[in-house]
Amino acid sequence: METVFLSRLKPLFDVIAGQRELYIPHHEEGHFSFARYNPQLHQEIAFNELRLCQPVKQFLFPLREIAAVFPDPVESPVVKPFAVYGLKDCDLRSIQVLDKVFAEEEFCDPSYLKRREQMLIISSDCYNPAESCFCTMMDGDVFPQQGYDLNISKIKDGYIIQAGSDKGLMLLKENESLFADVPHAAILERDDNRAQARRQSEEILTDYQFDVPVNQIVNNGCESELFDNEAKGCVECQACTRICPTCHCFYLYDEKQDDYYQKMKIWDSCVRLDYATVAGGENPRKLLTNRTLHRLMHKFVFFLDRYGIQMCVGCGRCIDACAGESNIRDVLKKLYDEPKTENNQKLKNGKKSIPTD
Amino acid sequence: MVKNPYQPINAHIVDVIDESSTIKSFVVKPDEPIPFKTGQFVELTLPGEGEAPFTPSSSPNQSDQMEITIMKAGRVTSLLHDCKKGQPVGIRGPYGNGYPVDTFTGKEVYIVGGGVGLAPIRSLLLTLIDRIKDFKRVVCRFGARTPEDFIYKDTLFGQWQKIGGLEIKLTVDKSNGQWDGNVGVVTTILKSDDVDIQNAVAVVCGPPIMMKFASMDLVEKGFKSEDIYLSMEKNMSCGIGKCGHCMLGKYYVCKDGPVFTLNQIKEYPDIWD
Repeated sequence: METVFLSRLKPLFDVIAGQRELYIPHHEEGHFSFARYNPQLHQEIAFNELRLCQPVKQFLFPLREIAAVFPDPVESPVVKPFAVYGLKDCDLRSIQVLDKVFAEEEFCDPSYLKRREQMLIISSDCYNPAESCFCTMMDGDVFPQQGYDLNISKIKDGYIIQAGSDKGLMLLKENESLFADVPHAAILERDDNRAQARRQSEEILTDYQFDVPVNQIVNNGCESELFDNEAKGCVECQACTRICPTCHCFYLYDEKQDDYYQKMKIWDSCVRLDYATVAGGENPRKLLTNRTLHRLMHKFVFFLDRYGIQMCVGCGRCIDACAGESNIRDVLKKLYDEPKTENNQKLKNGKKSIPTD
Repeated sequence: MVKNPYQPINAHIVDVIDESSTIKSFVVKPDEPIPFKTGQFVELTLPGEGEAPFTPSSSPNQSDQMEITIMKAGRVTSLLHDCKKGQPVGIRGPYGNGYPVDTFTGKEVYIVGGGVGLAPIRSLLLTLIDRIKDFKRVVCRFGARTPEDFIYKDTLFGQWQKIGGLEIKLTVDKSNGQWDGNVGVVTTILKSDDVDIQNAVAVVCGPPIMMKFASMDLVEKGFKSEDIYLSMEKNMSCGIGKCGHCMLGKYYVCKDGPVFTLNQIKEYPDIWD
């Protein structure tokens, strides 16, 4: 696809912001979060060298939304076109995961589809992977190869913009006058930057070298005592599932308005005690150790089994967010290092068979 | 346009039948027919309060209205128990797989049920009775805590007893003095039954503890685990395999079930919790 050169991002972003809401990374207290771009405000257009602290799911699957209105159904609100800049390969793969669930099944989610259709995805290379990153362990990379409309690679004197879809290509064609040809040296510089970022990522992951696929490590370790220890350190704050870009559990509840009712959809978390409790009071995952295990089994084993792609994208946000200082990579490492007994090869079940009372 | 899977179809309650002290059946008429397969479930909304999953207890041949049998167990079911004729409700569904009735053709169908678990079984039985000659025989072994706790008493003690090819035996945990049938949990009446195991399927639905022991006894009787069908109850909420609440190992009970063979799920130790 088309690749062009641009010395400053502002002219391009001003054009985009004229057509749709544009969200860009905003540097604040040591991390990047999303901020609405306003051409009039002379905002700094930061190049986030690593992922933002927020997951991209909030744009497609908001924290809370109206799922249905009844008894008289109403059309769900119109979604205006919008663009999000600063997404990394891990973010793009998280969108792929959500697409599998909400956009590619027998039952699609209409509001998700609307938002997805209206979204322009502007990704960028990741030049400075965080200490918590492990994308390369989870089929990812430090720069995106697919799933974007435009990808931006920063070099010393400007930016290389690459189109990854017809939507992106169209945008480049419509604004040809803004761009120059990409100097060959710029491509070499970009490739150097990418190779450097990959080396950095490899260095971060020196202690996590496995010769077995991650799903097998978790599946084989599902009877491990390790999950009891993990549970002891967990304060059940649910931050891991909220900040995870691919966790997509939700809770449906009903609300009465003046003259109608609405069914609401709100993020939920499988770490929550009563998450799986039925009306009669039975709860298949009463123990936190079982909820911890279920989360990992879903993340690393069940999803892959059902949809054929990794659910965990290795962004490491759960590591940064955990109040109990749990590190999912250490869990994988410990499970990998555990001696393989006959017992932990036998059960592939997502729950430890320990007494529940 | 994509159909909104969270939109309930408007309906209203046209009749309420007291089945036992804790169980009522609600005849619900939706504004548009909701065709379903026996064993599939629906989400019943009490507007403004919430929704809960139920397997209709009526025959799928009757799609203009359905019966839903509800035990008072949680918040929504308690509020539903207070509902009267005319109450507007909402229905989403049907969801899940249902019983593979066609594969039962020519076989003995051995049905074990208890308590409110008779609700999905009633729908299955009505389906089987419509074509009773297609099956070698249909054997029902039902249990309740006391004789008063049996639901569908009229048909259970009346009409169904007279149908050729259908054999019903009942048991209660505790007799009330006038009960002349078997006393003991339902598994106590399974042992003596003579079943052509090679040509039989079993269907189990009831409280988790009963399903656990009935499944064990059926395996002991010689049933292959792939011939034992269980109707699983988990926290089915969205109904479409997305929200995650009903996950049982790798399965979404709402989508991959609620009917599973024992073979599919026997490796999961939490199935009865």
